[in-house]
Amino acid sequence: MTAIEIGRLLRASTTGFVLGCRVMQLDKPFFGALVRVPQEHDYQIYGLVHDMRVEDDGLVRQLATVEFVDESTVADNRQNRTTPVEISVLAVGYQRHTSISHLLPPRPPLSLDLIYLCEPDELRGFTAEGRFGYFRHVLRAVDLPVSELLAAHLQQAQQAHAAAGNPGWIDAATQELITLLRDDYQTLMNVLAALSDVAKSR
Amino acid sequence: MTVDFQQVQRQVKELGQNAQASLESRQHTREQAQQFLHACAEAYDLLHRKVEQATLYDPNLRCALPVNEPIDGSYRQPELPAQATILAADGSQIAPSRHEEVEYALINTGAIQMKLGSPEPPPISVESVLLYDEKLENLTDALLALARDLSERRLLADLAVGLPPPVITFTDGQMELWLGQAGDREEHGLFQESLLEYKSVLQKLCASQAAAAGYVDRPHARTVVRMLEVATLSEAEMPQVKSHKPFRTMRDLHLFRGLLRPGERSALFEIQSPSAKFYRDELALFFFYLNVGRQGRESLARVEVPRWVVDSPPMLDHLHAVLVQQCRVMGAHPYPYLLHRAHETAVVSLQEKEQVTQMIAHELLGRGIDVEGKSHKQQLKDQATRGKA
Repeated sequence: MTAIEIGRLLRASTTGFVLGCRVMQLDKPFFGALVRVPQEHDYQIYGLVHDMRVEDDGLVRQLATVEFVDESTVADNRQNRTTPVEISVLAVGYQRHTSISHLLPPRPPLSLDLIYLCEPDELRGFTAEGRFGYFRHVLRAVDLPVSELLAAHLQQAQQAHAAAGNPGWIDAATQELITLLRDDYQTLMNVLAALSDVAKSR
Repeated sequence: MTVDFQQVQRQVKELGQNAQASLESRQHTREQAQQFLHACAEAYDLLHRKVEQATLYDPNLRCALPVNEPIDGSYRQPELPAQATILAADGSQIAPSRHEEVEYALINTGAIQMKLGSPEPPPISVESVLLYDEKLENLTDALLALARDLSERRLLADLAVGLPPPVITFTDGQMELWLGQAGDREEHGLFQESLLEYKSVLQKLCASQAAAAGYVDRPHARTVVRMLEVATLSEAEMPQVKSHKPFRTMRDLHLFRGLLRPGERSALFEIQSPSAKFYRDELALFFFYLNVGRQGRESLARVEVPRWVVDSPPMLDHLHAVLVQQCRVMGAHPYPYLLHRAHETAVVSLQEKEQVTQMIAHELLGRGIDVEGKSHKQQLKDQATRGKA
């Protein structure tokens, strides 16, 4: 299977990183997707996509006010011009050799590292490890749309697990979230409401 | 030390006080000039004769000559061709500086090629040429600019070869190579060499059946105005032609104001200038004015074209329609989109210039060749700039 490359790293910290990609690469990553950043020595970092930002510049702003923009001009701006798309990722764990950890990575990835979208088997491997330890990184990120992010992630992970004959994964994940949020009624209600939207759309 | 704003303020007040009177005077002159334009609209022979007489007394006369269209006429925007390839090029340069770490010049030329109506992204070409050692000898700013202009047109000619017609090419600025007033004999010798090559490049474009044009935004020229000034002189008064400038405050831009509706072009004019002798036959240069603005927001550009474009009505129409379409893409700031993109492609940023300088310095140091470093003056300037940042 060919790894799906979605961009290169622009900046990073221990808790997260931002990658840049061209507009034409934007059809690959999606909100809530699990991504990985391979490093040297059989080590890679995992993260969840929580924001995608399309930057503008003077010319794009100018063109946006015009009544009709032809296809060639749109293609030129999307494919030739360097107006980057920034994708923000929340670090949720790492893998060293064959061992997956839901702790924060010991060191952040480096500039221009390639970032790949996780395949369903990698998504299953990361989410089935341990007892959903990575949830706490999401729940701690109060500036992010936590409930929407969890809902999007759980939907994708549930599909991957169900396709592999493990439909019970989503129930265990939901139960864990209820336990973690038992003292935060408001967040719990938001998360459960988002999960109920996921269930309806299944 | 900064600007003394108190001194400036007093002068700004004077400027404001004079502005109204000067506006009214210009308006009056414009009305007179426009009346004369209409009066001479079809006096082709008379205008030719007057200009011919005037050149006897002023061999450096630079003005317009009527072709075969009424000079106050306006010509509607033609239909866009069903398909066409549009090519635009622009260039930028790094001038050599003895104050920098290493002395070199660079010409960076960018071109972009768009197929009308195609959903494909337009291919981009860049040519970066480093000039060093003996190539820097006698390289003035004017000659470097000349080399850049030549490089733009050469790139277009190369890209146009083999493309199916119609092919429309343009660059920013006038088509006539220009060295300026200054320049010693050596500079003029190099100018002649560039001119020869430029003409061969134009001939290549002509052979490719590609329309070539130079696009001048907010033109400063007064060639049509000058032709009218010359035409106001009687034969007996002709010896005073050099100093005879009754419409001296006028530019062609003012003359055509209000005469062209959005998308319309003016009549075609031939360029009468001392350098016209260099551009003969199919390379003879012509121009027209084009209103690329919208209703209520006129915006006039000057478009220079060679004779082979003028002699082919479909080619001229395609160029006219494409330039208007290209300007409309840019909305409130009408300027050909592809020219803007070619500029974006060609422009060398300060960061890139620094990068090139470092590449050269590393290469030389790696070979054990000493690099002198920046001059004291440059280092102090850089420190001052950093301090303000």
